[in-house]
Amino acid sequence: MAVYRPLDEALPALTNLLIRMSDLVADQFTEAVDALVRCDVALAAEVRRRDDEVDALELEVDRVAERVMALYQPVAGDLRALLISIKINTDLERIGDHAKNIAKDVEHVACAPGAIEATHLPEMADAVRKMLREAHEAFRGRDRALASRVMAYDREVDRLHKANFEALAAHILEHPENFVAAAHLLTASKSMERIADHAKNVARGVVFVMEGEDLRHLKLRTAADPLDGSPFADDDLA
Amino acid sequence: MPDVPPVPAAPPDAPTPALAPAPVLTHPPPAVPVVPEQHVEPRMSIQGLNFWYGAKHALKDISLDVRPNEVTAFIGPSGCGKSTLLRCLNRMNDLIAGTRTEGRVLLDGREVFAVDPVLLRRRVGMVFQKPNPFPKSIYQNVAWGARINGYSGNMDELVERALRQAALWDEVKDRLKENAYSLSGGQQQRLCVARALAVEPEVLLMDEPASALDPIATAKLEETILDLKKRYTVVIVTHNMQQAQRVADRTAFFYMGELIEMDRTEGIFTRPKKQQTEDYVTGRFG
Repeated sequence: MAVYRPLDEALPALTNLLIRMSDLVADQFTEAVDALVRCDVALAAEVRRRDDEVDALELEVDRVAERVMALYQPVAGDLRALLISIKINTDLERIGDHAKNIAKDVEHVACAPGAIEATHLPEMADAVRKMLREAHEAFRGRDRALASRVMAYDREVDRLHKANFEALAAHILEHPENFVAAAHLLTASKSMERIADHAKNVARGVVFVMEGEDLRHLKLRTAADPLDGSPFADDDLA
Repeated sequence: MPDVPPVPAAPPDAPTPALAPAPVLTHPPPAVPVVPEQHVEPRMSIQGLNFWYGAKHALKDISLDVRPNEVTAFIGPSGCGKSTLLRCLNRMNDLIAGTRTEGRVLLDGREVFAVDPVLLRRRVGMVFQKPNPFPKSIYQNVAWGARINGYSGNMDELVERALRQAALWDEVKDRLKENAYSLSGGQQQRLCVARALAVEPEVLLMDEPASALDPIATAKLEETILDLKKRYTVVIVTHNMQQAQRVADRTAFFYMGELIEMDRTEGIFTRPKKQQTEDYVTGRFG
């Protein structure tokens, strides 16, 4: 016989808040990149303004999580779900901040429209968008297979960031007048790389909730640890 | 990686949750490197224990060890057999007509059924759910057990020692001649603990010792339990999972007469290995 548990309402409510927040920051990222590529200063300003909505959701999630912890003292799977909700809340808020930072770069890039063609930023943005979308779906549906794909994409984003650095360094040598724009494009690339890292954290959170595996800092594990050789090993082991 | 079982679908007339419920762990690896536990000889060992009340098979093939100087908690829903098992440890079930026991219960490697039950119950003391002091003075409650067991030492010292170990001495030292019934419920329960300790047991069995106590008395009793394990081995039956979390080193979960899972308490309440354990500790059934 099923027993009424307040947690069966409280945890999904918390998750719904995070899904709203995830949708919002994904939109923020898309619009920030659009503003960057099109040099749309007005759109960039809108992205910066809407970051307040992301911050407001972060506060609400923390408040609800605190209430759940105080009133219901979850354990086992419920506890993992609550812990991850708190962590994902921070990751999503940081994604929002990085999207805002990309928007801040727009006005500095607008003066050198040719600089962005020298980079892999559009391709990188596509990869990051895909990571955000699939991390969102993995979290919503507790989809471990999807979570593992998200973590694998992060290596591609890291590669593109490194390629952007090299491309922009070469561009600056050829076009020193675009130095400021190139510097901001590099900042934007770094913001995208960090957004990908946060999307990877969300995916790791899905695995933690489902299986209790903590995939962070794998290099700290002992040689006998069963996670050695894990397909989820990342550059922590490098 | 262990296979992830399919997420169960929500019933058609229930509101669709935003997320599917999390599958249970099967072989969860540790989140951080853990130091392997040292092997210690168990203070008590239960091996293939079966118990019947008449035709009712109340305990089914129970095997577990109780480690010395630890608090072991038995948890599970009503009727799962945890109190029955507790009473097997000091043969209190012998006092119930129509019962039958098969299997082994060992105290320091010796079969308890090969020991005189009175001597056994001196070594394996018991505190019950409802405080049951004798209708005597506080002093006599503590001294009585030692006296009838032939204690010939300084009784005043023994009484004081037992009351101190039960964290009651400071509250009653000036009124040892008063009737035990003048004490509060929490004090009476700690008096029962002192009474059990006065015969210098090795193991202390506690059957829901705090269920009749208010939160403050419960906290004092739990503090006492945590102190007692330095000198004794404690087995506690509790319905209060937070109590098990607070005081127990190890927790055993029972269901319908079977031992489902036993682990360090942290493991039971963070990463239980069995679905039934997860369902019970998260309150999906009680």
